[in-house]
Formats: sequence, structure tokens, C-alpha cells
Amino acid sequence: MALTETRPETEAGGDVHAEQPAPSQIERLIGTGDHLTNGRLLLGFALVLGTLSAVGLGLAALDRTTDDGLLGGISDVLWPSSLVGLVLMGVMPLLLALGIAVVPLQVGSPSIAFPRAAGLALWTWLIGALLFMTSVALDGGVGGADDEAARLGNLSIGVMMAALALAAVCVATTVASHRPLGMGLARVPFFSWSMLVAAPVWILSLGAAAAHLFVGHIADADAAGLAANFDEGVSWFLRAPSVHLLAIPVLGIAADVVVHLTGRRLRPYGAFQGAIAAYAVLSFGAWTQVPAARQTVLWAAFVLLAALPVLATLGGLVDALRRGGVSALASLGASLVALLLLLGVVAAAGVQALDTAGSGQLWDLRTDLLGDAQLLFAVGAALLGGLAGLAHWSERLFGAPAADGVAKGGAAALLLGGALAPTVLLVEGIAAGDGRDGLPEGLVHGLVAAGALLLALGVLAGIAAMLGAARQAYDGVEPAGDGPRGMTLEWSSSGAAIAGALHEGPVRSPYPLADLRDGADEETK
Amino acid sequence: MADTTTAPTKLPPPVLPRRRELLFGTGFATAGLVMAIVTLIAHYLATRSAAGASWLAENDIPLTQPNMQLVTLAMSAVTMQWAVYAIARDDRYHTYMALGITLLLGVAFVNQTTFLFEMAGITIDQPEGPLFYAVTAGHLAMVVAGLVFLVLMAFRALGGQFSSRQPDGIAAAALYWYACVGLYAIIWYAVYVQK
Repeated sequence: MALTETRPETEAGGDVHAEQPAPSQIERLIGTGDHLTNGRLLLGFALVLGTLSAVGLGLAALDRTTDDGLLGGISDVLWPSSLVGLVLMGVMPLLLALGIAVVPLQVGSPSIAFPRAAGLALWTWLIGALLFMTSVALDGGVGGADDEAARLGNLSIGVMMAALALAAVCVATTVASHRPLGMGLARVPFFSWSMLVAAPVWILSLGAAAAHLFVGHIADADAAGLAANFDEGVSWFLRAPSVHLLAIPVLGIAADVVVHLTGRRLRPYGAFQGAIAAYAVLSFGAWTQVPAARQTVLWAAFVLLAALPVLATLGGLVDALRRGGVSALASLGASLVALLLLLGVVAAAGVQALDTAGSGQLWDLRTDLLGDAQLLFAVGAALLGGLAGLAHWSERLFGAPAADGVAKGGAAALLLGGALAPTVLLVEGIAAGDGRDGLPEGLVHGLVAAGALLLALGVLAGIAAMLGAARQAYDGVEPAGDGPRGMTLEWSSSGAAIAGALHEGPVRSPYPLADLRDGADEETK
Repeated sequence: MADTTTAPTKLPPPVLPRRRELLFGTGFATAGLVMAIVTLIAHYLATRSAAGASWLAENDIPLTQPNMQLVTLAMSAVTMQWAVYAIARDDRYHTYMALGITLLLGVAFVNQTTFLFEMAGITIDQPEGPLFYAVTAGHLAMVVAGLVFLVLMAFRALGGQFSSRQPDGIAAAALYWYACVGLYAIIWYAVYVQK
């Protein structure tokens, strides 16, 4: 029987599809390839786990306020594990979640590249994160004393890194190959561009860090050996210049927010793209794995030059804003102050660079504290950028805008926490150098704990904003509709509208929707 | 029979796969894997340099075997490029043949590597063991993954999914395979020649 023939009655009567059980809601959720669903899930999990990591950091700092450990001496495990948690369970998945959800919309694609791989990355990352938290609870994690739990911690960090790298592959491939006709790389929206240039740096850096975890694992090292392996092989990932990689997408978010709120075309577009790309290049730090590499002129140049693209972007955005008429929304404030916090990373790394100038150490500063300050400045900036992105694209992500007051409160908490904790560590790193006593221990760690808990509060506000928007959309509350009209494709009202916009012809500028409106305006004149 | 035959109704146009999606994805993923192996090699070299003359003093690693492995992989790079060349010209017969020979050479490389491991007698408990196997077995795992990739792409080619208009799968597998070959050339010199 040819395939074009009608099936006999007996076969036609039994509908094969009707006999198959329909997948349950949970099965559909786990197996979905929808980029918005996967992005929302990753966003939610990242915010929850980021909050837990910030709380863990606060508890570790509280524990250090007394010599014998206020909370029973848990800080040896909790401090380094929380720092790793903030990066791998909070910041990176948060920004990747925005990438998974928003990038396909920005480039006018109905889906993300390799949608099943993106789903796999999400669930693998979640399993890795849960294993990591289990290992921390069992005195493993990073720096723990229990051998088996430490091995579990080592493995789980590797699993999270592999999953995040896979998600980055999906996002970068979407930008590289899913663009519509006419949208060359020079016309990609800023956030998508920042994800495109961030992804290779993330993939390479995660690959290099995971290699050391692999060695530790096959060596079957004990807890002390794994801690030493992490310190020697992976700690560079949490220090300048690598910490800047956490914040590459923040530059793109800030630029897109300004474009949207001002309704102005940023010029020269290539200069902004160049600044973001330069920042990505300067955040590549896999070459600093050997400690000696962090005492070179090249290292000093890398960490100091990182200020230039940040300042260039900030200057360009402020120039676009200075003509006024822009609503002071949370997304705008959060993304701009995030850029200011990035200058804190440069300051902390610059002090370290000065200290290591010449032969030996100039002032013998506490580089461990300076390193933690660099990381926390970058984490604060990235969380602020993530919150800005969440508030900015909330309507696209959840169907309703995020409550601006909640987002502003969260941004304020993140700014305070993201500035307080690393500034205290920076000051203590200088004050306690060369064998000096430094500031009172209780004061330093108390302030750091306050900063960390403020970070947790800020991320919690992000969760509240997300849930509030989702609730509004569920209740069917219509957006006010008096906001600025979007200029890039993600602001089309639907996928059909995107297709309609692209049907008009190839993309002619980085602002296809603005072009479409301008064309329509000219036709009506 | 004519009344039971139905003409197909108006169907939506077929959705063509995104051009170069697989190629870009493979490129990004391969970059991460290459970085991991290069990091392991650098770690190996730094540790060996610190250990001095005692490094692998108890083991005998013949050079003939690694040389043959290098030649095997070099030949597979040629046959892989043959497959890319053939599919770009819709020469399906040569594509299958080239992919088959590449797979055969890849399996031969795996066989040679396990034989070398047995000859060298390096145990995971000795100080050199973890790093030696992290580098060489890590690369071996990469090659095995490449073989799986090749098999999948070969089946898709057999299914008619690739042609001169859509050669991405074969090109992506080739990109990954060249990375495996290039990495082995580094390992051959850094680990086996300079032992």
C-alpha cells in the first residue's frame, strides 16, 4: 500500500495517537524545548539558589566575627562554598536564563538553538547545584573536611560548569545562526551581542577550570588534597581578570535598557559593540592559572584596562540620557550603578597590581581579601544587571511588567550589599597588610555579613518582582500600554508580529521595529 | 484503487534546518573541550618540570606506538576531509566510504591507545598517574565521543539529511575530529616525545 492510499477501516478506527497516554504537566515541563519556559525556570532556580548562597556567605561572615567561630566554626566550608555558589548557582545561571529567554526574541527566532540541549543544561545544572548543597551540608563543598563529601562537592562543581557551558553554547549559537536576513553581527541587539561575546569566554574559562576538577577527581584525592587542588587550579576563576566575565552581559543589558527608555538610536553602534567585545577579551583569565602570572605587567594591564570599556559604555549611555525625558525606572538605575560597581573590581585589582609591582610585594597586602573583594564587586554588579534585565524584559518573560517599587528596593539592597561587603574587604586587605592588625575582626566580618545579607535581600526582591509579574499575567491584568515603544524585535507583540516585521524586508539597522514605525510614519505623511 | 487514493492536501512548506547551526554549536563546544585538554597538558608539563628526572622513571613508554597513533589520526584527518569534499559535491558513495574509513581509523586509534596504556604500565596510584591519564584518557574519551558523533552523522547522511545544500553535519563532525587530531599532535610531542 502506498503512503498516499487511505487506510482500511479497521486501521483507521484505531487512532494510534489517541491510545498513547498524554504526558503529564511535570513531564511536559521537564521535556520542554520552549526557550521561554526553560528561561523562566532557570531564572527562578537561579534567584532562589543565589539567595541561599548569599545567606550562606552572610552566615560564614557572622561565624568569623569571633575567634572561636560564632556559629561553631562553619566558615571554613561555608565561605568558599558560598562564593562558588554565588557564581555558579546565582550569577551565571541568572544571566544565562535571561539569554535563553530573551536572545531568541531579540534575533527574531522562534526557538533557541538546540532547545533540548538547553533543557538538558537546565536540569543538569539543577542536579549539580542540589548535589553541591548536599555536599556543603555534609562538610564537603569547597574546603570541607569530609573526604566523600568533598569529592561530591568537586564532582558537583564540575557538573554545574559543564551544564552552564552547554547553555552558553545554545545561546551563542542562537545569535550566530538564527539571525534573520539583513541582521549582520553589527546589527545584533546589545544584549544578544554581549551574550555572543561572553559565551566563548565562559566556555573557555569553564573548560579550563573544569580540567583541574577532573584531575582532582581521578586522583581520588582526600578532602585536603581537593581543597589544595581547588586553590591552585580553580581559584583564578574567582579573581580578576576572570571575575569580569560574570558582568559582560551587564553591559549589553544596560545599553538595551537605555535604548528602550530613551527611544534613541545609540551612535556609533559599533563603538558600543566594540567596548563590550573589548571588555570580554579583557575578562579572559585562564592564562592566570599559575600564581606567578598574577604578578606580571600583563596581568596589571589586563585588570586596569578593563576600566576603559566600562567607562566608555557608561559615558555613551549617560550621553544618551542627558537629553532628559526618561523615566527613572528600576531597570535603568540598576543597570547603570552595576557599571559603577564594576569599577570597584578594577580598584581592588589595581591595588593588588600596585602591590605586586616590581620585585616582591610592595606593601605585602592581604591578596586573599583583595581577591574576595574583586569577586564580590563583580557579583554585586552582575546581580544588579540581572535584576535590571528581569525588570526590563518582565513583560516579555512573564506577560506583565514587574512592580517597579519592588525592583527599586531590590536594586537598592543589591547596591548597598554589593558595595559594602567588598569595600570592607578591600579596606581590610590594605589595612591588615604587612603583618599589621588591621581593623577589628568583629567589625570587618559583621559589615561583610550585613553586605551579604543585603545581597540576599536584593535577590529576594527579584523573586518577588518575578512572582508579582507572573501573578499579574495569570490574573489577566493588561499592561498600561503607555510605556516606550520598543525598537528591537523582542518588543513585537507576538511571534507573528516579528514574522510580519521581517516580511517587510531584510533588517536594515539594529532597530528593526523603529525602522518599521518610521517607514509607516513616512507613508502616512 | 483510484477512488481510495487521495492527493495530498496543501501542505505547509518544509522547515529547513538552520544553516550552520550545528557547525557553530560544535565549534563552541569543541573550543571548551580543547581548552580543558590544553589546560591539562599545561598542568602536566608544569608538574613534570617540577618533578625533574624522577618523572616516569619507573615506566617505559616506547615511541613507536605513539608515532603510529599519530600517523593513524593524520590519515583519518585526510579521510575526514574527503567526506566533507564528497558531500559538498553530492557524491554520496564517496561520503559513506570516507566516513567508514575515518571510523575504522578512529577505532584503530582507540585500540592502539589501550595497547599503549598496557605497555606503559602506569598505575593511577603512582604520582604521575592521575595527570598522565587525565591528559591521555581525557583525549581518548574525546576521540570516542568523536566516533559516536561520526556514526550519528553517517546515519543521518544515509537517511539523506545531508547534501551539498546542507552539509553542516559532516562539516561539524569534521571540525570536532580535526580538533581531536590537533590535540593528539600536541600530546604526542609534550607527553610521549619529551617524556
